Amino acid sequence: MPASQLIDLLLDGMRETLYMTLWSTALAYLLGLPMGVLMVVSDKEGLRPMRWLNAALGAFINLARSVPFLILLIAVIPLTRAVVGRIVGSTATIVPLTLSAAPFIARLVESSLKEVDAGVVQAARSMGATPTQIIWKVLLAEARPSLLLGAAIAVTTILGYSAMAGFVGGGGLGDIAIRYGYYRYQRDTMLWTVALLVIVVQLFQEAGARAAKGIDRRL
Amino acid sequence: MILELRGLTKRFGQGEAVLEDVSLRINEGEIFGLIGKSGAGKSTLARCVNYLEEPSGGEVVFAGRELGKLPRGELYEARRSMGMVFQQFNLLMQRSVIGNVCFPMEISGWKRRAARSRALELLETVGLSDKADEYPATLSGGQRQRVAIARAIALSPRILLCDEATSALDPETTRGILALLRELNQRLGITILVITHEMLVVESICHRVAILDHSRVVEVGEVGEVFERPKTDAAKALVAGDGQAERARKIMRAIESYLDNAGLSELSAEEALRRAGIPID
Repeated sequence: MPASQLIDLLLDGMRETLYMTLWSTALAYLLGLPMGVLMVVSDKEGLRPMRWLNAALGAFINLARSVPFLILLIAVIPLTRAVVGRIVGSTATIVPLTLSAAPFIARLVESSLKEVDAGVVQAARSMGATPTQIIWKVLLAEARPSLLLGAAIAVTTILGYSAMAGFVGGGGLGDIAIRYGYYRYQRDTMLWTVALLVIVVQLFQEAGARAAKGIDRRL
Repeated sequence: MILELRGLTKRFGQGEAVLEDVSLRINEGEIFGLIGKSGAGKSTLARCVNYLEEPSGGEVVFAGRELGKLPRGELYEARRSMGMVFQQFNLLMQRSVIGNVCFPMEISGWKRRAARSRALELLETVGLSDKADEYPATLSGGQRQRVAIARAIALSPRILLCDEATSALDPETTRGILALLRELNQRLGITILVITHEMLVVESICHRVAILDHSRVVEVGEVGEVFERPKTDAAKALVAGDGQAERARKIMRAIESYLDNAGLSELSAEEALRRAGIPID
């Protein structure tokens, strides 16, 4: 393949990959963040201990996380069709990506929030803060650096999954690696694709780590 | 009377009682000390006073209202009239000093500007005006506790609960914090409940004291009275233990001044004893 054509191909793939990854991350946070907060709040040491809810939600998250991504991708096809109107392409891939990342993000958020010093929560309670105020102004606010670090992990994981979705026509760099590298034996195209994926993951991880460090006010 | 505990009991799960039938009356404007060894139930008591921990039995009456009977919203209101200071300061590490002091005002719906100007006054009161925009991580322990005190009194509470507020601080810093508490008591008339295991703290600022021993209050009275004529074994042990500690400190100081005179001022008493082959333990 001529170089200019390869570059165009890779740029397109890159654009699609980023499109899928970023939208899926955003939507998955919309689902996963409240789930993570709920896990922490309903914990037996939490602001509003709710044993059964906590156990049920925890079990659901574990269950959802143990379904292999490719299986989930196929299992949710009816939903994907209903939401997006089609089942191939990068927009369609956002649906299974979001669903598979949300429970993972719930766990990331949960562990970030649990790092917040219990003494600080107690101090806020002693000042008459309501649970809602504590969630926003203490838990989420104090956990910001850790949440950001978690977000970097989430983005890179979702990026990896989006490449997997290439196997079933999901679009993006993974798709290119499969079609050109695997089906047509164009090893150099595949290597370029993989190299790009590696670079993007490094960039996200590094940017996340730096940003987390930058906003952290602890020494 | 601002605060009354009536027959307060607390047990965790099926376990033994951490507090057993504790009754105390704390008068408006006084500094009341609650002293006891670790494990006596002091911290649990501190948290039961503002219902951070729900007592298993008995009542907490604050400013004429029984806290156990209040609906949640009113309990949150009541807590705003009770400041609390902790051993570990418990500052919000991602907020600046002034952000920390503004926090209680923020959650009580103060306007941003009003909160800021009140916070600056409070920082002036605790002697940290120049640190307003720094973050807690850059402050020393004593400074952090001053921020915590400014934060605790931001809503002009009627009582300030100090749970081992000086226990993480060195003696010098402890003196500064105690002086600040005394000043707040005198200037603002704020009632203070000091929970501690240190005699020094009670002796230097408290008017009255209660001794907590094995989950029960065993003695209550004027500080001078209780410490000079301890009636119970627990009180005697506290006073005697403190007498011994005081004697040990005097001996160390004597050794150090002897070393000083001998031109060995760089040696600490411990080091000198160690070199002389005298084990301290």
